[in-house]
Amino acid sequence: MTSKDLLLESAADRNVRFERDALAFTDQLYAAALRYTKNPEDARDLVQDTYLKAFTSFHQFEEGTNLRAWLYRVLTTTFINSYRKGQRQPQISQGELEDWQLEKAQSHTSDLGKSAEVEALEKLPDSDIKRALQEIHEDFRMVVYLADVEGFSYKEIAEIVGAPAGTVMSRLHRGRKQLREKLADYARELGYQVSPDKEKGENK
Amino acid sequence: MSFIEIHCSDVLSSVIFIIEDQIQELPRASEIETHIAQCLPCQSEVAHERAMHDLLQSTLRRTCNEKAPEDLHDLIAAQLRAQSTGTSEVITQFSMTEISIEIDEFGNVEHREIQIEQTRIQHFNDLDSDK
Repeated sequence: MTSKDLLLESAADRNVRFERDALAFTDQLYAAALRYTKNPEDARDLVQDTYLKAFTSFHQFEEGTNLRAWLYRVLTTTFINSYRKGQRQPQISQGELEDWQLEKAQSHTSDLGKSAEVEALEKLPDSDIKRALQEIHEDFRMVVYLADVEGFSYKEIAEIVGAPAGTVMSRLHRGRKQLREKLADYARELGYQVSPDKEKGENK
Repeated sequence: MSFIEIHCSDVLSSVIFIIEDQIQELPRASEIETHIAQCLPCQSEVAHERAMHDLLQSTLRRTCNEKAPEDLHDLIAAQLRAQSTGTSEVITQFSMTEISIEIDEFGNVEHREIQIEQTRIQHFNDLDSDK
């Protein structure tokens, strides 16, 4: 559709097109909203707000580009702008984020440590996986979720969360690392042998 | 390991780029690849990171797949329809009947009735008044 066609598109047609194409993502957006807000009521509201916002700016969406990614961007900005305002979520400072490459070099882990880590993750119940994801910092959680569950590339994620690609990469790195540390902690609590790994607890 | 420039620690701190198949983004991509090709501990580390990543990913995908509440889809569809293009219609109808009765000097009664009707439809654009 050309932009002229879009201008001429009737309200009813646009409504139909939006409903057909965009509403198909309700479940996916809801699952993402659950990760963002951490509770079903807010997730529900967030998805509704997202669709209303997306609908009113649907004329700005370019046909042929990635509708799913666009909807996630609306979801993410709606969340950042309205839902997290009330919360006291400390923002991660840019410097803190970028220094990860300068992180003190890690050493190789032993083969025993590796297999123990895999085994522990395989044995942990699903509820622990969700709990671990909830406990990591919101900015990390969003990026890990978008990459590892939704399968967005880090460049797409940069667009969705409105951050530079390098920042996304470092959040992804740290987020996954924190997630694995949490999971290793839970596994230890359950009595599994997980190597008393590397120096952990760089900034949380 | 004594490779000229690249140390195992360089590989380990860049491991996310390798996992994400973005090794070309690294300033010393080819040196790092050469190092990995020649260093068994690094190969094993990269393989472990990949395995952990795949496992974590499949675990996350399995656990984070909640369905939206059943009514949510229909509720949103209804909200969108109500909003349509963001216009709401207000219909105002006026109707008035004018009756006049005249009696002339001969006692003839003349009865007139005039009906005036007006319908006004106004569209309010919610888009413009959004903010």
